[in-house]
Amino acid sequence: MQAKVAANQKTGKSIDNAFASHFAKSMFLAVCGLVTLSFFGTRMFTHVDLNLYGYMVGTIIFIGGFFYRFIAWGERPPTKIFIKKGIKLLFRKSTPKTSVEHLATYNFIWNRGIYRWTQHILIGWGCILSCFVTFPLVFGWMYFTMDDNGYYSIIAMGIRVITVPANGIIANLSYNALNITAVMVIAGVCMALYRRLKNMQARAEQKFMYDFLPLYMLLLVSVTGLSLTFMNIFLRGAGQPAMSLIHQWSVIITLIYLPFGKLAHIPFRPMSVFARNYREHYAEQSMKGCKVCGDEFVSTEQSKDVVEVLGVNDIEFQTKEGHHLAEMCLPCRRKYRIAQFSGFPIHELKVKEANQNAKG
Amino acid sequence: MKKRLYLELENCIGCRSCLAACTQCGGHEERNRNYVYDVNPMVNRQTMPLMCLHCVNPACARSCPAQAIQIHETGAVLSALVEKCIGCQNCTIACPYGIPKFDTEQNLMYKCDLCIDRTKDSIPPMCASVCPSNTLQWLTDEEIENKKKQFNLDNGKWVTSIPYLEGETNVKVNLPGILQGITKLF
Ligand code: HEM
Ligand code: SF4
Ligand code: SF4
Repeated sequence: MQAKVAANQKTGKSIDNAFASHFAKSMFLAVCGLVTLSFFGTRMFTHVDLNLYGYMVGTIIFIGGFFYRFIAWGERPPTKIFIKKGIKLLFRKSTPKTSVEHLATYNFIWNRGIYRWTQHILIGWGCILSCFVTFPLVFGWMYFTMDDNGYYSIIAMGIRVITVPANGIIANLSYNALNITAVMVIAGVCMALYRRLKNMQARAEQKFMYDFLPLYMLLLVSVTGLSLTFMNIFLRGAGQPAMSLIHQWSVIITLIYLPFGKLAHIPFRPMSVFARNYREHYAEQSMKGCKVCGDEFVSTEQSKDVVEVLGVNDIEFQTKEGHHLAEMCLPCRRKYRIAQFSGFPIHELKVKEANQNAKG
Repeated sequence: MKKRLYLELENCIGCRSCLAACTQCGGHEERNRNYVYDVNPMVNRQTMPLMCLHCVNPACARSCPAQAIQIHETGAVLSALVEKCIGCQNCTIACPYGIPKFDTEQNLMYKCDLCIDRTKDSIPPMCASVCPSNTLQWLTDEEIENKKKQFNLDNGKWVTSIPYLEGETNVKVNLPGILQGITKLF
């Protein structure tokens, strides 16, 4: 909160002021974009599937919430810096590799534990693949036709992409795509819930709205989605209309919730690529030496940016030696504090840090 | 009754029980999140713990672009949310005491969360639970006030935190012996 307030004071605008215009503009552009895409995708609205109307409304509300949340986020001084410099550094050679590792294969979650990685691959890719299938259908960017000759075609943006035998593997995969992804999500969510039972970590610090609700919502979406298929095949469609409504309702609620809770990490995570580029790029440019021991511990740019961000928040850490605390490396900064307590300047002593690795 | 962590720094005997206990708290994944420092290793054996002080206006959280560092209603400044931390390390640079630790492999910051699932129910954090020398204590404001009376300093030097710290903190720090000029045999 304070960060936001401070940011406003600096720019001299009220948040509503900056906000209304940014928000309205983004919203307008996004809706125009959707309508245009749908216009072409549906060959001038001749192939609109009105069963999916609820999703359309849901998506539009979602986009509203998304901009609301993220424009406010982007106004925070540290976020602004990373977005601005991140975009500038987007064309580094390492960007594709970093993006894949951070956003698709999640190598860093692997390092947190194989269980956590498997869980996230199942949930994350389950959801992403579902969206790849669902959204184009909803907005009419893609649809399927069955030709008389037993062939089945996928039409995307009005172009026949692929025509396959109606009982072949690809056709079967595409009929069942949403069933497969639903099973992935259910498995992943169950792993996450099981982890909360087994491991206190996953339970600590968390509230129902933040932690459990998104998991239950994902579960509800997947289970109702799967039961649609089940009713189709085994109950000859009995109960379908009601279930279809419940399913739509759950998807819409999840979409609306997304920008505000735990799932808000999905649209925000690409920032981790920005952050990595920022660290790599400025580290190559020039490194900051610790004001006490001279060790290079961070890039000059980041040190400068952090000091500036703290300044915007009215936090000034000037030492009596005349530098900012952020200009000291971490061990020196810790020793410097001990020196403030004890009066003995241990940070100037060339001894290595005492043992910090007591094991439990 | 709201209690807070209270440190009498020079009681520390350097046993590192607090570090060991820290590793065992639910959610800490067997890594400790605090420090124990020698004060003047060439001369004596005095040590002091250095803990996150849970600043009232935490520099770590203010500098985080991802809002990954949340402030709990008890005032505890929590460790980075695992799904939000983007690994920029701003927080490690911003903290005036050099507290947050960073794991490059996991691309994740971790720091003292005051054992939030214990302290939110008024159970002392792991470190204060095990400290054998009363360096780390878990006290009400009233009890801290009583200590102040007990160390009846006429030099006006009873100070928890300021001016030895950079800003107001939820954890209170004190140096009763040193401030009273009592010489200790280390
Ligand atoms: C853009 C790519 C994404 C990245 C980089 C990402 C990153 C992360 C990270 C780092 C965590 C913490 C995992 C841990 O430490 O255990 C997490 C958790 C989570 N992610 Fe993602 N995520 C992405 C996409 C998604 C998608 C598409 C979904 C689907 C809805 C999703 C759903 C979740 C859920 C439900 C959790 C919480 C798991 C739990 O509470 O145990 N994520 N994500
Ligand atoms: S001591 Fe450092 S890590 Fe702890 S709350 Fe203050 S700024 Fe954050
Ligand atoms: S390293 Fe993580 S917790 Fe620290 S400032 Fe960056 S995003 Fe926030």
